[in-house]
Amino acid sequence: MTGLHLLWQAAAVLVGGGLLGLVYKGFDRKLAARMQARIGPPLRQPFLDVGKLLVKESVVPRDAVGWLFKAMPFLAVVASFTVLLYLPWGPFPAVLGRYGDAILVLYLLAVPALAMALGGFASGSPLATVGAQREIVMLMSYEFPLAVAVVGVAWRLATLGGSPAFSLAAIAASPLWGQVGPLGVIGLAILAACLLIVTPAELSKIPFDIPEAETEIAGGLMVEYSGTYLALFYLADAAKTIAMAALVVTLFVPYGIAGLLGLSGAGAQAVDLAFHLLKIFVVMFAAVTTVRVAMARLKIDQVARGFWLQITAVAVAGLVLLVLDRMVAG
Amino acid sequence: MPETQNVYEIPIGPIHPALKEPVRFTFQVEGERIRAVDVRAGFAHRGIEFMGMRRNLIQTLYLSERICGICSISHPIAITLAVERAAGIEVPPRAQYLRVIFSELERIHSHLLWAGVAAHELGFDTLLHLTWKVREQVLDILEELSGNRIDYAIPIYGGVRRDISPEQIPKVEAMIRYYRGLLEELVDAFLRDPSVAARTRDVGVLTPEEADLLCAVGPTARASGLSKDVRQDRPYLVYGELGVKAITPRDWGLEPRGDVYDKAVVRLLEVGQSLDLIETCLYEMPEGEITSFPKIPALLAHLKKAEGEGLGWHEAPRGEVIHYIRLEAGVEEPVAWKVKAPTYSNLMSWVPMFADQEIADIPIIAASIDPCICCMDRVHMVRDGSPATLLKEDLLRLSREKTERLTGHPSPVTRHGGGL
Amino acid sequence: MTADQVKKALVSAVPGLQAELRPRPVGVRTRVEVPELWVDVSREGLVPVVAALKAAGPLHISIISGRDKGEEIELLYHFAVGYGTPGGEVMVTLRVGVPASDPTVPSICGILPGAETTEREKIEFLGIHFTGIPSTAHVFLPDGFTGHPWRKDDPETARHVKRMVEWEGKDA
Repeated sequence: MTGLHLLWQAAAVLVGGGLLGLVYKGFDRKLAARMQARIGPPLRQPFLDVGKLLVKESVVPRDAVGWLFKAMPFLAVVASFTVLLYLPWGPFPAVLGRYGDAILVLYLLAVPALAMALGGFASGSPLATVGAQREIVMLMSYEFPLAVAVVGVAWRLATLGGSPAFSLAAIAASPLWGQVGPLGVIGLAILAACLLIVTPAELSKIPFDIPEAETEIAGGLMVEYSGTYLALFYLADAAKTIAMAALVVTLFVPYGIAGLLGLSGAGAQAVDLAFHLLKIFVVMFAAVTTVRVAMARLKIDQVARGFWLQITAVAVAGLVLLVLDRMVAG
Repeated sequence: MPETQNVYEIPIGPIHPALKEPVRFTFQVEGERIRAVDVRAGFAHRGIEFMGMRRNLIQTLYLSERICGICSISHPIAITLAVERAAGIEVPPRAQYLRVIFSELERIHSHLLWAGVAAHELGFDTLLHLTWKVREQVLDILEELSGNRIDYAIPIYGGVRRDISPEQIPKVEAMIRYYRGLLEELVDAFLRDPSVAARTRDVGVLTPEEADLLCAVGPTARASGLSKDVRQDRPYLVYGELGVKAITPRDWGLEPRGDVYDKAVVRLLEVGQSLDLIETCLYEMPEGEITSFPKIPALLAHLKKAEGEGLGWHEAPRGEVIHYIRLEAGVEEPVAWKVKAPTYSNLMSWVPMFADQEIADIPIIAASIDPCICCMDRVHMVRDGSPATLLKEDLLRLSREKTERLTGHPSPVTRHGGGL
Repeated sequence: MTADQVKKALVSAVPGLQAELRPRPVGVRTRVEVPELWVDVSREGLVPVVAALKAAGPLHISIISGRDKGEEIELLYHFAVGYGTPGGEVMVTLRVGVPASDPTVPSICGILPGAETTEREKIEFLGIHFTGIPSTAHVFLPDGFTGHPWRKDDPETARHVKRMVEWEGKDA
């Protein structure tokens, strides 16, 4: 694979991922509106929003730590788009698959949240400070169950031997469901459920939109951001939504349908890619859109307690089941 | 000073997404805990009492209607009762029933409005959109009956300005049926939702002792278990005969805790109570005159001769409204006019309710007393705002066209714009 | 709570206090009379009277209204005594006159903390001094506004009204 080829692929994934993120955001908003008996914005609204933000003035508050305040949106956007390069896209392997694995993806997913928190602290507004504190607490709360779910799957696959541990390509190539016993299936189902619960938290969506909490702290960490910087955070959020949903799909439902349809070649690749995108959409719809129209915002202490106690306990139970399954299978 | 170092100040308002109207809170916060709060009002103070004391009583009535868009029947009812008492004017029976019907319609729309706002404060926008969609029904009925969604201009000294015609009664009955069928669903969506309960239970507690000492009124006091309702305690109009009982969470089988949840219980149950009252009034309302002064000049002449003082009170959706007025013979304008809106009484209740709560609770606690800042503030020194006359008239024309569409008959108002 | 009980409480606080009963006929089919008491009280008698009302039953202050009569400023304390039973509340209005030259009244916040907002409003609008009030900060008017709009011929208010009239181009 030549360097130029790699560059082309990366550019395709980044641009495609960004566009897809905005398209999915449009669907998310439209569908949420329909569920709330509203008409909702047109599907292209996220594009209009980004376009408008890009031509607007970017205000940096006088009390802000300027360079940090300006750097953080770039860091967030770079990190969340980079994740896209490490994720397999249905029939296509990850662009940078050879250079990073599931652990790296986990770290990269935490970076935008950290960048937002730092940006919040740097903006010098009390509301943003509260938002940043909340973002950090959120990060500490959901990281453990997230890590347990990802590591559990990767570890169980590694114990089956044959492929490099934690490689997302290997996970996608050989779905675990068929390779484990009944205990393992239950364990996997539990981990999948945990990951779906973590998804809206990772993306700061209701009921976990606590760091932004419009009615409480007026947008929290985002309160001082405007113009280009806000557009960058918006794009980062769109890309992260895709990345998170794609991670769930890769870990738990990496199946294609081209084989079933008896297709091969470019047709099969196209159908599988479309199916992959459909699965990402379904995950987003189930874990983000429906949840955010069906719930009220929780409080930070409720979320921290819930993730540290209940969700972590459930995730560990899933992990224990996988371990037991491994002991039974020998 | 290790104690104070962690305490920092968070300003909420006068402009903030959690506030639908301008008021300023300054919170002393430690981590996520509120240690102290300072409330500052007055951002919507327009000098209405001051202006009222420089206008004749009919103009003052119009002003009273514009104290607040949501309580736009409560203030006129209180001021007409006060003036009727001061000037010794009798109100025909039918007019008394009509005033009750309109004020209960207002209560329904106000409580549904609150329910939507409360849901929004909790980040539950789905519930906001659903309740506000449902609220349109009662607004349509108000527009059908009075010609306006708000500012109904119904009460006048000595009676009311519009009757409910026999053709309109089925429409009101249909609205009552609609809400009866829906109320259970709405109560279910609010009171049995785990995420709503998680955010409202034991949040913003006002104990009965505090409610009593701080003279809280309306649903705020009733949620704490005080059986305090002007319609029950101090009868006026026909409320005494209708047998209104103050609704507390006990009516829903709960021991009152005085938290936000209880306030939601009281308000939602009161929607049902208002439906019953409207229905009873529709059937019991006697035929007859709707005003004892059909001619405005005669009314003005009578008022100019009147001498005396009077109190008028009403249980607005948010609690007790009271107007005091003093008339002197030979003077067209009131010598003294004092307006007390419910939020005025509930202002002090915020302080114990905010004590030791979290930042995340600020919006819902602030909303829980259903604050009506424009009612409370009545004088303001306007500095900004271009008149934009053309735009205003356009809006007026559009709204009249809609009313005509809805009611099917031309608007009785002449078309030269809103020249009040 | 009946008007007689309230009268008894009033007399026990200030012997010889005259309370005027103004019954208010209410209702269409069954007429009832809702009691309203209007009482003239000296400012010295205010606190004992309020304490007696508080002891007599659940006490609610609706509002303090007032007006400038020239030599004298008249304050009207509107209380409701005894909520909780249908038709069982008595409206009691205490009329307190204070000289405009010395507009000092004892605060009743010690007995009824809920009276603070309305007392502070009277500081702003009528320039009354309440002795013993927990806070005298402005509630409604801008902090820097020194006038008292309900006083007759208040120069600060007149200046303000003039400015608004010029700005709006019509009468206040």
